[in-house]
Amino acid sequence: MRLRLWRRASRLHAMDGFQKVLLLLMIVLSVFMLLPIVYIFNHAFKPYHELFVYPPTFFVKEPVLQNWNELVAVTARSTVPMVRYLFNSVFISGLAVLLVTAASALCAYPLAKHRFPGYKLVFAAIILTLMFAPEVVQIPRYLVVSQLGIMNTYFGHLLPLMAMPIGVFLLKQFMDQIPNALLEAARIDGANEFTVFLRIVIPVCKPAVATIAILAFQSSWGNTESSALFMMDEEMKSFAFYLSTLTNNLANNVAMQGAAAVAALILFVPNLIVFVILQGKVIATMAHSGIK
Amino acid sequence: MATILINHVYKRYSSSKHAVVSDFHMEIKDKEFLVFVGPSGCGKSTTLRMIAGLEEISEGEVYIGDRLVNDLPPKDRDIAMVFQNYALYPNMSVFENIAFGLRLRKLPRHEIDQSVRRAARALELDAYLDRKPSQLSGGQRQRVALGRAIVRSPQVFLMDEPLSNLDAKLRVQMRMEIIKLHKTLGVTFVYVTHDQVEAMTMADRIVVMKDGLIQQIDTPEAVYSTPANTFVAGFIGSPQMNFIEGRIQKEPTGRLAFHTSRFAIPLPQDIAAMLERHGLIDKRVTLGIRPENISLEGLYSDAVITGIFKLDELMGADRYLHLEIGQERLLVLRVQAHIRAVEDEPLRIVPDMSKALFFHPDTGVRFA
Repeated sequence: MRLRLWRRASRLHAMDGFQKVLLLLMIVLSVFMLLPIVYIFNHAFKPYHELFVYPPTFFVKEPVLQNWNELVAVTARSTVPMVRYLFNSVFISGLAVLLVTAASALCAYPLAKHRFPGYKLVFAAIILTLMFAPEVVQIPRYLVVSQLGIMNTYFGHLLPLMAMPIGVFLLKQFMDQIPNALLEAARIDGANEFTVFLRIVIPVCKPAVATIAILAFQSSWGNTESSALFMMDEEMKSFAFYLSTLTNNLANNVAMQGAAAVAALILFVPNLIVFVILQGKVIATMAHSGIK
Repeated sequence: MATILINHVYKRYSSSKHAVVSDFHMEIKDKEFLVFVGPSGCGKSTTLRMIAGLEEISEGEVYIGDRLVNDLPPKDRDIAMVFQNYALYPNMSVFENIAFGLRLRKLPRHEIDQSVRRAARALELDAYLDRKPSQLSGGQRQRVALGRAIVRSPQVFLMDEPLSNLDAKLRVQMRMEIIKLHKTLGVTFVYVTHDQVEAMTMADRIVVMKDGLIQQIDTPEAVYSTPANTFVAGFIGSPQMNFIEGRIQKEPTGRLAFHTSRFAIPLPQDIAAMLERHGLIDKRVTLGIRPENISLEGLYSDAVITGIFKLDELMGADRYLHLEIGQERLLVLRVQAHIRAVEDEPLRIVPDMSKALFFHPDTGVRFA
């Protein structure tokens, strides 16, 4: 332990002035980035008089569970039980993570490693879609979902999520880095194209896949759009949507602010968990270890 | 049994009319160690990749054994390939890297285990089976790549510059291991390199290539002593063969001699007869002579060149002397290390004309 401490200190010692300034800057920045998370956690436990205190405080002084009780009370009154919304969200998000990463990877692999006529055009089209704001595509999306006749189904939740251009882009860039010799070696070893993809390409791209899994989870877990636009039945709607209806139009309202604070926390926690699980993979830099 | 017949093969990329490999035609014998050698961009790797099935064949046929393989995917050609950058799967352990091909063939588990361990023992990798490629040194990685190839006991081994990423000492060691491997496996090896020393030391036969064209196919000895043209003569051998531009003339005594603006060297009978047969009297020719076939003047000789000593390179046992003899390039000769010369002083040297080669001054083709 002592040795490790000493090493840390020596590393700090080895930094020049510029690096120390950068380090300080990064620390300040990361604390700043952490503030909303601290705020969400504290907010959920604030009693009413603290919720409305001005100027707002980050840390709770007298933590209470009253907001949780309020949320439970509110949900008890709803026609569809809360667990149904929760189930919908878990089910949709779980499937979305699988389907989005699979679709992105399957799309990125040929773009990165196969030269088919028009591949540049396809990739350019995917990049182009990165530029659209989500609001722009709401109406076309609605038309697609409605024409396909998948309104009011889980597939209606999933399909709009599955086209994630940022995922394709990220994975393609990552796959570009894989040396062709690696794929050729596998082909000579007897692998068919799908085996190469599954056993070589995907494991090597793990960091990018993990990143996309996080993005896919976040976009599906917090998604209220598909519930609002494509779902008619209350029992098909998502947890995020349900919580947003609870807390909507509360800007000038005192009632239920406590429930809203708890709802925000509940919505946030799964994101945090998924990120913590996968972050090791995201940070892990790809080791081109077999390649000199 | 795996002879490889490469029948008038061409490689063109669709974007250009220019062929990267033109009219490549040869038969690689069973159990032969064949080396493709040439400068980078000469098409040697492309040819190897066409045999492997990694590159499409634009024209011509490739047979492995008696099977036409033009349209067979690499995995059905019964080949193994070792790449320059090793191409080990970074996500798998050494064991899994070697076993990958066997697993894909759905061999029983104990059989896979057995053959991987046998290969690992032969390549002294037993201690590293659990490691990831990133934890190995360059030489070990190369041995894993070799292991991956040998466990599959293919008919043909293809190697694409496998040693060029290793340092000089390791390269010599691995060279020996590959030669040993070829002897024990007794299968056909096709080996690509840009290093003429590797080609000379390992090959049963060498294919020298340039600009997509075969320049010569022959044994290392023959390629060295009777190169087909000035390119092969210059590419094989280090230091390079000396080329001297001059003219064949008949002396008043009736003997033939090689004349440059500075000196004249009488030619021995058999070479003179050969040159006469080609009708080269009073014609320009390029004389080629290797550095080891030139010596410092002895007791008596009638073929003496006087050059101005410019610089020398000590190679340990030998010393290379560079002399100015009125040609575009300095003449190099190999002498013993203890011989020293004084800069800018004349030095009298004697080429062994019985070892001299004559080339066409424009096409570079050797007269024989």
